[in-house]
Amino acid sequence: MAVDITVLFKASVKTVKTRNKAIGVGFDLPKEEIFKKSRPKHGFSLKAKEVISNITKLKDFLLQHRKDYVNAGSLISSDLTRMTDNERDQIDQDAQIFMRTCSEAIKQLRSEAEKQVIPTQIREHRGAVLDLIEIYLRGVCKLYSEQRAIRVKRVFEQENQRLVSEMSNLVDEVRQIEGKVVEISRLQEIFAEKVLMQETEIDSIHQLVVGATENVKEGNEDIREAIKNNAGFRVWILFFLVMCSFSLLFLDWYDS
Amino acid sequence: MAASVREKQAAALKRMLNFNTSPLKNTAAEPVWKVLIYDRFGQDIISPLLAVKELRDMGITLHLLLHSDRDPIPDVPAIYFVMPTEENIDRICQDLRNQLYESYYLNFISAISRSKLEDIASAALSANAVTQVTKVFDQYLNFITLEDDMFILCNQNKELISYHAINKPDIMDTEMEAIMDTIVDSLFCFFVTLGAVPIIRCPRGNAAEMVAVKLDKKLRENLRDARNSLFTGDNMGAGQFSFQRPLFVLADRNLDLATPLHHTWTYQALIHDVLDFHLNRVSMDESVGSEASPSGARPKKKNKKSYDLTAADKFWQKHKGSPFPEVAESVQEELDTYRAQEDEVKRLKSIMGLEGEDEGPISSISMSDNTAKLTSAVSSLPELLEKKRLIDLHTNVATAVLDHIKSRKLDVYFEYEEKLMSKSTLEKSLLDIISDPDAGTPEDKMRLFLIFYITALQPPSETDLDQYKKALLETGCDLSSLNYIKQWNLFSRVMNSGSQFVMEGVKHLVLKQHNLPVTRILDNLMEMKSNPETDDYRYFDPKMLRGSESSTPRNKNPFQEAIVFVVGGGNYIEYQNLVDYTKAKPGKRVLYGCSELFNAGQFIKQLSSLGQK
Repeated sequence: MAVDITVLFKASVKTVKTRNKAIGVGFDLPKEEIFKKSRPKHGFSLKAKEVISNITKLKDFLLQHRKDYVNAGSLISSDLTRMTDNERDQIDQDAQIFMRTCSEAIKQLRSEAEKQVIPTQIREHRGAVLDLIEIYLRGVCKLYSEQRAIRVKRVFEQENQRLVSEMSNLVDEVRQIEGKVVEISRLQEIFAEKVLMQETEIDSIHQLVVGATENVKEGNEDIREAIKNNAGFRVWILFFLVMCSFSLLFLDWYDS
Repeated sequence: MAASVREKQAAALKRMLNFNTSPLKNTAAEPVWKVLIYDRFGQDIISPLLAVKELRDMGITLHLLLHSDRDPIPDVPAIYFVMPTEENIDRICQDLRNQLYESYYLNFISAISRSKLEDIASAALSANAVTQVTKVFDQYLNFITLEDDMFILCNQNKELISYHAINKPDIMDTEMEAIMDTIVDSLFCFFVTLGAVPIIRCPRGNAAEMVAVKLDKKLRENLRDARNSLFTGDNMGAGQFSFQRPLFVLADRNLDLATPLHHTWTYQALIHDVLDFHLNRVSMDESVGSEASPSGARPKKKNKKSYDLTAADKFWQKHKGSPFPEVAESVQEELDTYRAQEDEVKRLKSIMGLEGEDEGPISSISMSDNTAKLTSAVSSLPELLEKKRLIDLHTNVATAVLDHIKSRKLDVYFEYEEKLMSKSTLEKSLLDIISDPDAGTPEDKMRLFLIFYITALQPPSETDLDQYKKALLETGCDLSSLNYIKQWNLFSRVMNSGSQFVMEGVKHLVLKQHNLPVTRILDNLMEMKSNPETDDYRYFDPKMLRGSESSTPRNKNPFQEAIVFVVGGGNYIEYQNLVDYTKAKPGKRVLYGCSELFNAGQFIKQLSSLGQK
């Protein structure tokens, strides 16, 4: 277990100070301390810290709106906290632009650092610093993409839901129609049956009618013959009668 | 789950690298960049724990050695992690005067003395940089953790506390004091980081006892100092050792000289033995051709490759203690699984390629399947690539080890030595092996002979000895180490009556589960068994009001946690033996530490230089 001896160190500093004062070896402390505090930070680390603070801002922004973005599924979420899809798209866009700028900034820093003539260790150090920043950026991007994935998943789920409900509606309608069609087909069967039955009857009627027509024709012929016969018979009767009368007349004449 | 020492040390380092505050869990936090300055000690501590990538992730843009030319980077905070030595302090003062960085966070690996602190204070005053020195910390991290349960004291300047340094016959009291102080300082840091006050047991009459006495004194002083005690409240952690305090066993290398010379058969120990293995990093020559002869008769194009064997490497964690044949099989298995997965990905690729054209019923049915499979394949690609890299790594390492084994016939040595150490019957005569020109380097033969000499119940007769010596000289061995062993042997035989080198053979399989002497001692002490060897050990409890000379422990319960520390050096064979012992006893934790880590070759060199005196 490590022991913090910073306090001991500070005490040693005091001891040495007093010892030095006693010996008479003094150092000008106050002025140079002030100067030290305002020692300029070199350009590289300033810029690097800027990039990091930007990325942190992005991260905070994403985390802040994460709940609303993801719309954490509470049933009682008021309209105030709900985000429209437009707002979400806006956030997406902004975040992407931001990330791109950040990675551009990192690349720029890297190329700048490579151009500069600096000792190897500092070069290595700066390279490693830029790597760390990139990893940080990647981490934040991952946050964003996770959020987005949830949202996209949510959207797909919604669409899924919608499609499912549409489909189920269609299914209902189709079922209804199916029922009706079934009925119609049943009725049609019945009709067909009846029609078939009627067909036989009509056939028989047809037969009868044909027979009747023939009979009537024959009848007509018979009547015609009968009329003829009748007429001929009449002629013969007439002749007989005439003959009889003539015979009578003859007889009468003869006897006379 | 209790954090291991490695995790604790890594956590302490990470905290330090975060300007001595707890690191936030928030991944999308603003990056703060800093520069890390360390000395070689700091480098050795950090490198097994944190990879360069992890350092980068924590915002460290540059990591530099203290004593190198450093350019001023005026708008960056600098974190120093150094030992508080004279030259380091001077260099820090110089940095302050040159105003290299914007602010300074000074972390000292072990506690800095008041006078040196004042040196820095005066340099800061003269450079008007007092406000820039933002924080000064004593980190108490002066030890190197290699594994979850293994640590060593230091890698730099390890000659100062090596076996040679401790045991040389002409050592002066002041030198010994300095060595003991170094060791005790590191052990103290270790216990501060662990957050526990142990109960110390040590044998009598050697360096280990001296270390124990000093450590006990230091812990006691620190506990008494209620204001600055490092073992209060929040240090104790979340009840890691809540019921019991751990047992700290100090052992001296001299109780077992045969194990460091032993030829071994487990993966990690083999790598340490035959290849160049430091601080979890293997360096080997990668030759283009695959026939590597040890003498390098036809040197092909060689480039040095180094591999890190880390905690993240699952294969390594699983197999570092396995016998080598198992490792070879497992590598093959891993390769097969990898190929299968690779084929799966290829198959998916071809299916997706065909999918647009082929309107057959099969593809349309399995369309949704494929998308899921494809996603899983894509996401598992980095894993696959990593797996491939590890498989390649282990294939290379295992091949190199295998080459050494084959050319030096290390398996023969291993078996023979196992038999020697367990006192079972020998099939081949020692002389045959020594005179065999194919089997092994002169160093191997020397090792074998030394083990024979050490483990023999009776020292061999003069004629036998001469025979052996002749044979050894013929093969080019250096006999000075033998001289030292002879002296040591006489000395130790006088001290202890019984033969101290008996290994218990538990199972009669090819690789027996032996308990090495260190493990045996630990077992006795941890389980409170009575054994003539360990009954005489001294007992220290820094929390007791008065130190006692007695050897009777106060509590009779077996310990759940133990730390074994070998003064004079240790190696992976002992570590592996302890790990195996712990595996057989669930619920117990054992940590292994040593003042330095050497393989057999390095140990023989030390013995030789001791024997030449």
